[in-house]
Amino acid sequence: MSILDNFITRATTLKRSIVFPEFWDNRILEAAAVICEKSIARPVLPGNPEEIRKGLSLSGISSDGIEIIDSTNLQLIDELTHLYQKQRPNVSEKVAARLVKKPLIFAGLLVASGKIDAMVAGAASTTAEVIQAAALTVGYQSGIKNSSSFFIMEMADSRVFFYADCAVNISPDSNTLADVAVSTARSYRKLMNKEPLVAFLSFSSKGSASHPDVDKVKRAVEIARAIDPDTVYDGEFQVDTAVSESVAQKKIKEPSKVAGRANVLIFPDLDAGNIAYKITQYLAGAKAYGPILQGFAKPVSDLSRGAKVSDIVAVATITSLLS
Amino acid sequence: MERVEVEKRIKKVVSNILGVPEEKITPESRFVEDLGAESVQSLELVASFEAEFDIEMEEDAALEVKTVGKAVDFIIEYLKKK
Repeated sequence: MSILDNFITRATTLKRSIVFPEFWDNRILEAAAVICEKSIARPVLPGNPEEIRKGLSLSGISSDGIEIIDSTNLQLIDELTHLYQKQRPNVSEKVAARLVKKPLIFAGLLVASGKIDAMVAGAASTTAEVIQAAALTVGYQSGIKNSSSFFIMEMADSRVFFYADCAVNISPDSNTLADVAVSTARSYRKLMNKEPLVAFLSFSSKGSASHPDVDKVKRAVEIARAIDPDTVYDGEFQVDTAVSESVAQKKIKEPSKVAGRANVLIFPDLDAGNIAYKITQYLAGAKAYGPILQGFAKPVSDLSRGAKVSDIVAVATITSLLS
Repeated sequence: MERVEVEKRIKKVVSNILGVPEEKITPESRFVEDLGAESVQSLELVASFEAEFDIEMEEDAALEVKTVGKAVDFIIEYLKKK
């Protein structure tokens, strides 16, 4: 059973509610239909109910099992406006009311309010817009100040590694790198149901090289441990030291629970992370699922604007398990 | 509306949203570098300007405005069309 099939099986037992704020994109409607048909989650479409039903009808999709939330409902708008203001007190009621009219903010507030479990957007919006809406509505997890993303890499031999950050933070400083690691560890624990062993990667293994870039990674390890003392973070490691026990035995003299056994790989910057996941995918034949956004207090995921219906279903499945 | 009035009201909005005293805000002030705006606050600033002047701005173009003085220019153009 592939990791995605495993996720789908688990998602069907939880059947979380997921809001898709971009109903005008036909792929979203088709994905909602697949999600319903496979009982993966309860899709929710906010907007003008008449327009949504028209869109579903034109696409030949039944609205059975798809919840429609009327975004023109004045009582709901009022409730979400007040929720926004409560979270962002610098903003006046008049301004909050304007922001609530924006589909991504409206959907984010549905998640923040607890009415809906998670949000999936980005088919018709930029990643920056999705991150902005999530930050303004659901906010960040405890101890986290930066959003990031991870990939689930399923190797040909079925081993699974989480790679981060391969899509959001271009040149993370030590604090941001620590946020990436802590968020990825939390995502790993929820999705894999086992303990993350988090390796901070570098071109140096435990002081084998000296450079400001190595110092940045070393500081990040310390910051991550301070934010999340219950998880095992270690580094800096070269990638072979992180994933190969025989190499780790030769290179690492001090005790380490992570060296040689890492299942979460934290790359020092976006160059390294992005190149690594594509090399693993294209040269090693691994399956790559992602990027999945993380770091928010409640799950919000981004889609590539070129996402296919099957991509949207996969992201929704993974997102539902993060709630 | 006179330019000086637009600038005064923009400073008040920026001060409320970013928590910066009005007297520290000048036309040359850059929202991010000088006034400490986080990227997530740009959407709130745009919505606040729209509410203050009762206008609807093109969001992508509005988000490209980087200084207080440029925001004054940008909003004056919308006020002329009202």
